Amino acid sequence: MKHCLIVDDSRVVRTVAGRIVQDLSFTVSEAAHGAEALEICRKDMPDAILLDWNMPVMNGLDFLRALRREERGKEPVVVFCTNENDPEHISEAIRAGANEYIMKPFDADIVESKFSEVGLV
Amino acid sequence: MQESTFNELADLALRLTGQHFAPSKSYLMEARLSNISRRESFATLDDLVHCLKARPNPRFDQEVAAALTSKRTQFFRERNQLEQIVSHALPQRLKQSKNGRLRVWCAGVSTGQEAWSLAMRLLEEVGSPLASADIEVVGTDVSTDCVEKAGQGTYGHFDVQKGLSIHRLMTNFTRADSGDWTVSEKLRDSVSFRRHNLLHPAQDLGAFDVIICAHVVSGLALSAQREVLTNLSRQLLPGAYLFSAPTERIEGIVETLKPSRDMRGAFERDTAQQGIVAA
Repeated sequence: MKHCLIVDDSRVVRTVAGRIVQDLSFTVSEAAHGAEALEICRKDMPDAILLDWNMPVMNGLDFLRALRREERGKEPVVVFCTNENDPEHISEAIRAGANEYIMKPFDADIVESKFSEVGLV
Repeated sequence: MQESTFNELADLALRLTGQHFAPSKSYLMEARLSNISRRESFATLDDLVHCLKARPNPRFDQEVAAALTSKRTQFFRERNQLEQIVSHALPQRLKQSKNGRLRVWCAGVSTGQEAWSLAMRLLEEVGSPLASADIEVVGTDVSTDCVEKAGQGTYGHFDVQKGLSIHRLMTNFTRADSGDWTVSEKLRDSVSFRRHNLLHPAQDLGAFDVIICAHVVSGLALSAQREVLTNLSRQLLPGAYLFSAPTERIEGIVETLKPSRDMRGAFERDTAQQGIVAA
C-alpha cells in the first residue's frame, strides 16, 4: 500500500482527509505542522503528502522547500490543500515543487481527481 | 409525485427531447426540476404539471423538457477518447483537408466542459500540424441555460477541481474575486455554443470532421436514438468520425453509421445506405 502523510493543523481536516485517502487505498500518517512532517519524512518518506499552507511552527511552503532540498532518492508527490486559493499562492506553491493543488473546501471527488492527475490512483 | 404527474413529465421528455424515464427514475425528475419549481413557486411537481396542462406554453414545455436532461459533465471526462481525437482523428482529418480547416461538434455539451477541454488540449499541440490548423469547436445543447453557462465559460470552485490539473487551470483560466474561474480569451477564439435539439435536423450547423456525442444517446428511447444518430450522421463529412462515450453502444442502431475501419471506437457515415445527403 502507498503511504500518504496528511499535514494540517486542524484535527478535523486531518480526520476527514485521512478517511478519503484511506478509501483510495493509502495508509495514512498525520502531522500538525511542517516541522513535525519533516521529522516523519526523514524517518520514512511517504509516497504522497497532502499539505496545508498556514500552520504554526513551520508553514506548508517552508516545509515543501525544506523537503525538496533534503530529498535523496524517493521524491514524494506533494499536493497542497489550502484556503489560499488565489493564483499568486498557487504559482508560488508550484515554483516550490508542489505537484498538485487542492483549494479548500474539498470533497472526496476532488481528492481522487487530483491524485489521479499526478498518477497516485 | 403522483403517478399521473410522472407519466405527464415522462411523456413530455420523450416527445420533446427523446429521453426515456423509467418509473424508478422519478427521483431524477424531482432533482432536475427543483430549480424551476422553486423559481415558479410550485410546491410540488404535481402543481407544475397542473400548470403545464392548464396554461399551455410551448416555451415552458421546452424549458421543462430541457431541465429534465442530464447535466452531468466534467472537464476531461473522457480523457482517453479526447487524447485519441487530438492525437489521431484530427491529424487524420487534417491530412485529408484541402484548406487546413477542421470542424468539431460537441453535441449535447451540457455546460460546456467537454468543448473547453478539447480547446485546452488543442492549445497544447505546440509544434504539431494541428497547431497551425484552423479548428472550430461548436458545442450545442437543448438547454438554453446550459448554452448560456457554457458560453460564459465561468465555473465554480468544485467544477474546476474535477478533471482539471492545476497546471491546466492556471494556464487556461482567470480567477474572479468571487472565487469563480473563467476561461481565458485565447480559448474563446475557437469555441462557440448554440442551442440545438438533437432530435431536429442540423443542416444549419454545417458539416463536421469530428462529432462527439457522449453520454447522450444511452439516455434516449430507441426511436429517439435512431433520430439523433441519423441526424448526426448527416452532418459527418465523408471519412469524418463520430464518437460516442466508450461505455455507450450505438452499433447497429441506424444503418447510416458504420464502425470506422481506421479509428478504434469511432463511427463513420455509411454512404452506401440511403438517406444520406451531402451536408
